[in-house]
Amino acid sequence: MRIIKNRGKLSGWLDISQSASGVVLAVFLWTHLLLVSSILLGKDAMTWVAKTMELSFLTADGHGYPWVVTVIAVVIAAIVLVHVLVAAHKMPLNLRQQKALKQQLSMVNHGDTRLWVWQAVTGVVIFLLLPVHLWLIGAAPETIGPYGSADRIWQQGVWLLYLPLLFCVELHAAIGVYRVAVKWGAVRDLNSRSRLKKIKSIISAIFIVVGIASLLAFLPYANA
Amino acid sequence: MSLEATKGRMLTFNIFRYDPQEPGDKPKMVKYQLEETPGMTVFIALNRLREEQDTSLQFDFVCRAGICGSCAMVINGFPTLACRTLTRKYPKGDIMLMPLPGFELIGDLSVNTGKFMRELAERLKLWLHPISDDLDVHRLEAPMDPVEAAKLYELERCVECGVCVSACATKQMRETFVGAVGMMKLARFELDSRDGRGLEDYYHVIGNQDGVFGCMTLLGCQDNCPKDLPHMQQIAYLRRKMAVTLV
Repeated sequence: MRIIKNRGKLSGWLDISQSASGVVLAVFLWTHLLLVSSILLGKDAMTWVAKTMELSFLTADGHGYPWVVTVIAVVIAAIVLVHVLVAAHKMPLNLRQQKALKQQLSMVNHGDTRLWVWQAVTGVVIFLLLPVHLWLIGAAPETIGPYGSADRIWQQGVWLLYLPLLFCVELHAAIGVYRVAVKWGAVRDLNSRSRLKKIKSIISAIFIVVGIASLLAFLPYANA
Repeated sequence: MSLEATKGRMLTFNIFRYDPQEPGDKPKMVKYQLEETPGMTVFIALNRLREEQDTSLQFDFVCRAGICGSCAMVINGFPTLACRTLTRKYPKGDIMLMPLPGFELIGDLSVNTGKFMRELAERLKLWLHPISDDLDVHRLEAPMDPVEAAKLYELERCVECGVCVSACATKQMRETFVGAVGMMKLARFELDSRDGRGLEDYYHVIGNQDGVFGCMTLLGCQDNCPKDLPHMQQIAYLRRKMAVTLV
């Protein structure tokens, strides 16, 4: 006789993978923006970063392997897919849930609930915009560099994609990391919670400013 | 300034009125005016309104001292206890009262939290499950460690007012979600050395999307609980405990 032990471990793993994938993506996002912001230090700095990411130090001629960037894009896309599929469980998908949420927001005044709504909204926007970004980069990794990126952003008008993506992703990530810290008990007392909440707003603001500055810093290279 | 010299200002109450028992009645907001008296709470104001202006006004209260948890309602957007809310808190003198969302409406500001709490207790089995089934009433009970007793007492302070349920958008969106009160009470038994249930048993009840893994950490429970219970810490504690059983 075999005893059937089915206690449904899946929901636990789903919740953990949502938090874990979110933190990984947030760390990647912040690293990514710092690397891109090398354009603020000039085109040589950005060229060096782009080449190093292509592992140019492994090849004798210094050309490196641009497909490394494609691999990173594919891996990120996979992690995003996991994150989206799991996070979708928490979204108000049917009309009854959406009405309940709307009524709750109009009746009860609560800051962290509104933060979550922002996270949900930005999450949907990111879900729509990010695949375009990943495709553009993953399909043409060799164009990354001061001139190639400037051409993409300003001549081909991709800033229209990057600007909303920047805002959404920086809000979403900082709120998300704050929530993960509170959710798993990394933040235990209410003072450190409010401190962390301030820090996460500052992080969002700083990265949005750095992001916009970086986009503008590509302008001089756009017509060259 | 002596109390006699204070001419009370006029308060305006905007109160949700609806009697589901009355055929044809429609939900509406009704305005009442009342002169403020020193130390007035929303609970005192409601009693005066009912005595002096509208005897049909329905709301619940028992202890008027923040112990029974009956008078919880949404006051100017914050779910809390009417008896612990001073009208002085509102400089403009405008006070809007709504019944707690997420519960069966009895009428006006009165909701059936009792029915909800009973169903929750039966579903989660919120009572002590002794380690042994030895029911010898003559045997002396083992003394409890005072530190443990203090921890349990902290969680026992819950008055089942229903504020955490009303303040939780997750609960409003998902009816079967257990909410902070359920998790708080389970955490209480999990900490109790006399309870025979293990982590696996708790996992069956809250190790799912109706329990700790469905909680989105919106923290409406933590931020509104009139007894300042440590919901944030308790739910995180249970979540970690449940996550540990996965591996």
